[in-house]
Amino acid sequence: MEINRLPKVLLIFLSLFLIQETLINQINFLVAGFSLYLTFFMAWVIQDQRNSAVVTGFIAGLILDLSPTLDAPFGLWTLVLTSMSYLLSSNVRAALDAELSPLVMLSVAVLASSFALALFLLFGAILGQEVGSASYLFRSISGNALWSALLSPLYIPLAMKLYKVTLTARQR
Amino acid sequence: MATRGSNRSRLLWVSLLVTSLFIITLDLRGVSLLSSLRSGTQSVLAPVERLATRVFSPVGDFFSEVGNLGRSSEKIDKLEEENQELKSQVIFNENTLAQLESLKGVLDLAGKARYKTVSARVISKGGTGTFSETIVLDIGSDSGVRRDMTVIAASGLVGVVKSTTASSSIVLLMNDPSFRIGVRVAGKQDMGILLGQGDKNYSLQMLSATSAISVGDVLLARGSSGDKPFVPGVPVGRVSYVENTVGQLTKEGRVNGFVDLNSLSVVSVVLSAVAGDPGDALVPQAPRPAPTVTVFVTPSPSPQG
Repeated sequence: MEINRLPKVLLIFLSLFLIQETLINQINFLVAGFSLYLTFFMAWVIQDQRNSAVVTGFIAGLILDLSPTLDAPFGLWTLVLTSMSYLLSSNVRAALDAELSPLVMLSVAVLASSFALALFLLFGAILGQEVGSASYLFRSISGNALWSALLSPLYIPLAMKLYKVTLTARQR
Repeated sequence: MATRGSNRSRLLWVSLLVTSLFIITLDLRGVSLLSSLRSGTQSVLAPVERLATRVFSPVGDFFSEVGNLGRSSEKIDKLEEENQELKSQVIFNENTLAQLESLKGVLDLAGKARYKTVSARVISKGGTGTFSETIVLDIGSDSGVRRDMTVIAASGLVGVVKSTTASSSIVLLMNDPSFRIGVRVAGKQDMGILLGQGDKNYSLQMLSATSAISVGDVLLARGSSGDKPFVPGVPVGRVSYVENTVGQLTKEGRVNGFVDLNSLSVVSVVLSAVAGDPGDALVPQAPRPAPTVTVFVTPSPSPQG
């Protein structure tokens, strides 16, 4: 990642974290909840180059680890999002067309955020965290997937637009 | 064959993964810098959350009321504007009244048990990515709130204070999968452990093989040493199902919590239990059936002709 992109990426993910913590978390969703931060991150990373995706994953994970209501060890989300960003930008991205359609981005965002939540739980369980009953986990992950799919017309265009804003003239 | 670019990105990925593992290790070994980062974030977020609650709650209801407008006459516009102002006032008042009612309920409960409490408003909840059931309160250590204090609502137990900053505190709700509380069956001395399941149902495991529980039994908090994290006597829930499996060492069951944890607006943090264990004084009264009026008609003897 080019150094002059870094402040913009940091600012975008910090603002998103603030929106997630202060507004989205206050909404009573009918089924489970919705993590705008996570789905936005997936929609962002799938567009990115491998190196900058991995750095973005690390930064986004560190920011998410700041969440005061989080009970997991600090650094767990950093580990998950860094892994996810590499997986998406190298393996998944290589299998897709150069031009990403909104439908592809929606599928990637929904599946990748569900996978990231499952990975977070798995790593958490390995580190000795309480993970809850299977029905609770299923409801939480599928609820997030449902809302990620329903609200995709809002965050996917935003992710595409903001991603372009952070690109340097040479990268565009 | 791997290119130079992909090798470089793999190296970057591995070094960032190692850094994350290093951070996790530091946190698990109790390096205070990392935990203070989280409490620092909470101190920064609390004023924004408070503002968001104040603005978002009445405005959210207000927007649902606006949908029917659209005519263009100036007079109608003016009248509608006044009408909307009044409506938003009514919504605001309803909101305040509901909060007052919750506050009255929780103060009644605390008064009955002679708990010394401090009331608080819920300003935020834990998110999906946290996988922990938590709420954020608008009071903290400045108001006397400390870690491991019991939090109650009008109908019973809500959870326990997990961490505090000067002006906010995070409460672990009783439906969190890591939540455990020792309970006692009201009217008996049978004890068990209640476990959070992530939803409104809880799992109950009785401690003694001879304990008898039945559907409808009320469970109360057993209390902890020094009243931390739990003060005794707080209503927790009602037994909804009892498992009767042959060969089971102790009885197990399911419990419905008394408090609806999804609609909390005002709660109280118990600072101390002044009068000790209130016993069964806080057991909620079962609703009394409405008296039915029975009319007996005695036929008068018909005159015999």
